[in-house]
Amino acid sequence: MAEGGDVEWELSKENIQPLRRGRAISALHQALTQQQDGLSSVINQQRQAFESELRMYEGDDPLDVWDRYIKWTEQTFPQGGKESNLTTLLERAVTRFTEEKKYHNDPRYVDLWIKFAESCPEPLDIYRYMQAQGIGMTQASLYIAWSEEYENQGNFHKADLVYQEGFKKCAEPHDKLLQFHKSLQARVSRQVMMEVEDDDSDEEPKQPERVSLVDLKYRGKKKAIALVNRTGPAIRSVSGGLQSRGAPVLGNASNTRLMIFDESKAPTAGPSEPRLEPWMAPPTSRAKENEKRPEKWCDVKKSKFGHTVMAPPPSKPTFQPFVDESDQPPTMTPCKINPAVNTVLSARKPCREGTPLKRLQEHHLQQKEAELGKSQEQSMYCKDLLLSGATEFCFEELRAERYFKKIAQDTQEVSGQKDHSGSSAAK
Amino acid sequence: MSSTLKGITLKGSAELVAEFFSFGINSILYQRGIYPPETFTRVTHYDMSLQLTTDPKLKNYLTNVVSQLKEWLFECTVQKLVLVITCLETNEVLERWQFDIECDKSAKESSAPREKSIKTIQDEIRSVIRQITATVTFLPLLEVPCAFDLLVYTDKDLVVPEKWEESGPQIINQSEEVRLRSFTTSIHKVNSMVAYKRTDSV
Repeated sequence: MAEGGDVEWELSKENIQPLRRGRAISALHQALTQQQDGLSSVINQQRQAFESELRMYEGDDPLDVWDRYIKWTEQTFPQGGKESNLTTLLERAVTRFTEEKKYHNDPRYVDLWIKFAESCPEPLDIYRYMQAQGIGMTQASLYIAWSEEYENQGNFHKADLVYQEGFKKCAEPHDKLLQFHKSLQARVSRQVMMEVEDDDSDEEPKQPERVSLVDLKYRGKKKAIALVNRTGPAIRSVSGGLQSRGAPVLGNASNTRLMIFDESKAPTAGPSEPRLEPWMAPPTSRAKENEKRPEKWCDVKKSKFGHTVMAPPPSKPTFQPFVDESDQPPTMTPCKINPAVNTVLSARKPCREGTPLKRLQEHHLQQKEAELGKSQEQSMYCKDLLLSGATEFCFEELRAERYFKKIAQDTQEVSGQKDHSGSSAAK
Repeated sequence: MSSTLKGITLKGSAELVAEFFSFGINSILYQRGIYPPETFTRVTHYDMSLQLTTDPKLKNYLTNVVSQLKEWLFECTVQKLVLVITCLETNEVLERWQFDIECDKSAKESSAPREKSIKTIQDEIRSVIRQITATVTFLPLLEVPCAFDLLVYTDKDLVVPEKWEESGPQIINQSEEVRLRSFTTSIHKVNSMVAYKRTDSV
C-alpha cells in the first residue's frame, strides 16, 4: 500500500503530546523525520530566527512574536521535553508582559498564561495569581481552564463557583462560557446519577461503617473539621487525584506512623474570596507530604537483628503479556536529536529555585523595586536583549543582526535609487 | 464458514467489511467522545479490545446502517462511507472520517473464492483500527457537544431506501487531511482517511 511516510506518526504516537488545537500533520511529519535523521539544523535556524526577531522587533505588538514562537515550538517538538524549552519560553513570555495592561485581556496572552499554568505543578495558584493581577478577567477561557482544574481535583463546588465569578465579570465570549458551564453541570449530575444507581445496585444494604483516612466535608463557614460522625454523607465522596470508584479503601491503620498530608490545613483561597492575598511576598511554603528529616546514614546501628525490612523480590506477573503472533522487531528505533548546532552559548537553564509562581512573584517584586529606584544592581549593558529569549545571545550576535539589517536597508535604498534614476533617464 | 478459512467469497467479504465498519464507527464514536464513555462496553475482537455502544437507540441505528451497507457491499454498489462529526449548535463540520471502498465487480460473476486467509484480513483490519485509536495524538480536542452523521456514496442509479435521504458532501473548508492505512479482502478494498479543521498556527 502506498502509505509511505504516513506511518511515522503512528510509530512514535506515544511520544506526541496531544494539543488542544490539534497538530498540523505536515509539521508533525517534518518534526518526526528530522528527529529521525538527526537533522536539527533546520530547526535550529528557525529557532535562531525567532530568537533574533524577539530582540529586534520594533512594531507595536511584541506579543505576536512570542505567540508565533511558542506555537512553532509546540508543533516542532511533538514530544515536549527539555529540547523544546517550552516551559521556559512560556514563563519568559508571561513575565515579560505582566506590566503591560493592554495585553491583560488579550486572548493570546491569556492562552499563554493558561498553557503556562498547565505546565506548572500547581495550576490553581497561577490562576489565583492571574486573578490578583487582573489578567484575563474578561476572558471566558481563563474561567474554563480554572474550573476544569478544580473539576480534575474533584472539587465540583469550586468549579461551579469559578463559572459564577466569570459570569459576574461578564467574561467574553459569553456563549462559550455558558455552554461549558452547562456541560459541567451535565457531567456533575450524571455522576451523581451514577452514584445513586451504584447504591441501588448493591444488594446488601450498606452499613454505615467507620472509615479511616477519609476527608470530611466542611460544615458551615469554618473550615475546621469537628465532626464526630464519620459515616454516610459527611464523607467527601470524591477526593483529589486518582478517583477510585466504589467503596473507599479501608486503611489498615495499625502500627503505622505515617504523617498524613492534610489538605484542609494547607492554606487555600478560593475564588469566592478574591484579593485576600496581595501576592507581594512569596507564599508560605506548602505543607509537604511525608517529609523525613535528614539524618546520618553511616554508622547507623541496627536496633534489632532481623528487624530490617527487606523489599520482597518482584513476583512474576500472573498473566501472560500479550504478544502479537506476527511480531516483528520495530522497523526503526528512535534516535536522539543531535545537540544544538549553536554551541557557543548553551541554552539558558531556567533557574530551578522555587516554584514557577515564586519566580513570577520575585520578578514582579524586582520590577517594583526598580521603578522605585531601590534596586541594588544596575546593569550597564543591554541585559534585557541578551537574555530575553529562551537562549542566550552574545553581543556579537546582536551586532551582526543589526549589521545585516542595515545592509539590507542600504541595498534596498540603492536599488530604489537605481530604479529612480532609471525611470528619470527614460524620461 | 469453513470455506472462508481457505479463501474468501463475495458474501464473506461483504460481511467482513460491514463488520469492520460496525467496529470502526463504534471506535470513532468512543475515541472522539461523541457519546459518554460510560455507555460503551468492552468486547474482544480481532484479538484486541474494542468499545461497543450499549445505547439502545444508537445500537439500533448502527445495525440498520450496517445491514444496509452489507447489501450494498454484496451488490458492489457502494463507493464511500463517510462519518461526519458536526458541532451540535452551529452545525459546523469539525471532522470527517472517510472510507473509500473499491469493489472488484468481477467477483459478482465468478463465484470462485479468492485466495486470502481471514487471518491476514483481520490483521489488516486491526492495524486500521489501531491507527484510528492513535489519531488522538494529532486531532484537535472536540470542546463542544457534537453530533455525527453517516453518509454513504453509492452508484448513481441506486434507489434511495426508506429512512435515507440525499445530502451534500459536508466538506470541511481549510482542512488538514491524513491518510490512514487501508485493508483489502481482495474483493473490497477500503482506504481510510480523516480530515479535520486546520490549526490556526504555523
